[in-house]
Amino acid sequence: MLLFRSEEHIEEWCRAWSLQRGATLSPDTAWRLARAWYSADRRERGRRRRTVDETEALLAELGLTGPFWALR
Amino acid sequence: MDSDDAEVDFRVRAAVYDGVMTSGTAPLGEDLAAQLALSREQVAAALERLAAGRALVLQRDSREVLMANPFSAVPTPFAVRAAGKLYYGNCIWDALGIPAVLGTDARIDGSCGCCGEAMSLAVTADALEPTDGVVHFAIPARRWWEDIVFN
Repeated sequence: MLLFRSEEHIEEWCRAWSLQRGATLSPDTAWRLARAWYSADRRERGRRRRTVDETEALLAELGLTGPFWALR
Repeated sequence: MDSDDAEVDFRVRAAVYDGVMTSGTAPLGEDLAAQLALSREQVAAALERLAAGRALVLQRDSREVLMANPFSAVPTPFAVRAAGKLYYGNCIWDALGIPAVLGTDARIDGSCGCCGEAMSLAVTADALEPTDGVVHFAIPARRWWEDIVFN
């Protein structure tokens, strides 16, 4: 996941690398995603990865729904 | 996996995160072995199990820690200055994850993925300061772990 100055710079980068355009987020939504994703302390005993259901719920809470964000 | 392995895995994972959170750099296998009074072989096996379980990402050849998400064990273009230390994120999402994990203010010194112009982000009091720019996810969510290094 990269940061770009603008949508135009994303388009230019995708053209340069022959990559399909993916999904874009505002920096604030990316921050809220990071804060939600990394909320648990990874040093805790018994920590486990999120299930697919839990991950989908986390993404949906931030409005990240649709084919790009689908996990199955 | 037996309960002894699970206990070793827990201790190794906790020590990796303690190390990277404290210093900005992930401890090497030999340091983990000395710190935890384990053999190098026990640490190496634990790192492999943790990588197989996607708790860590290891370097291809050395099998030392490459990523303890959101932290990178090696320098990246996503430098994060927080609590008087220098950390590196694996991507802009992970760079934002570092102040989230540490619970501190941070400044992220990144750059535009296209033109390379410097772009800084600041997290203050658990909020991202208003900033220009757009974050781009190139790979759909269900494929994130297929190539976690590229992603």
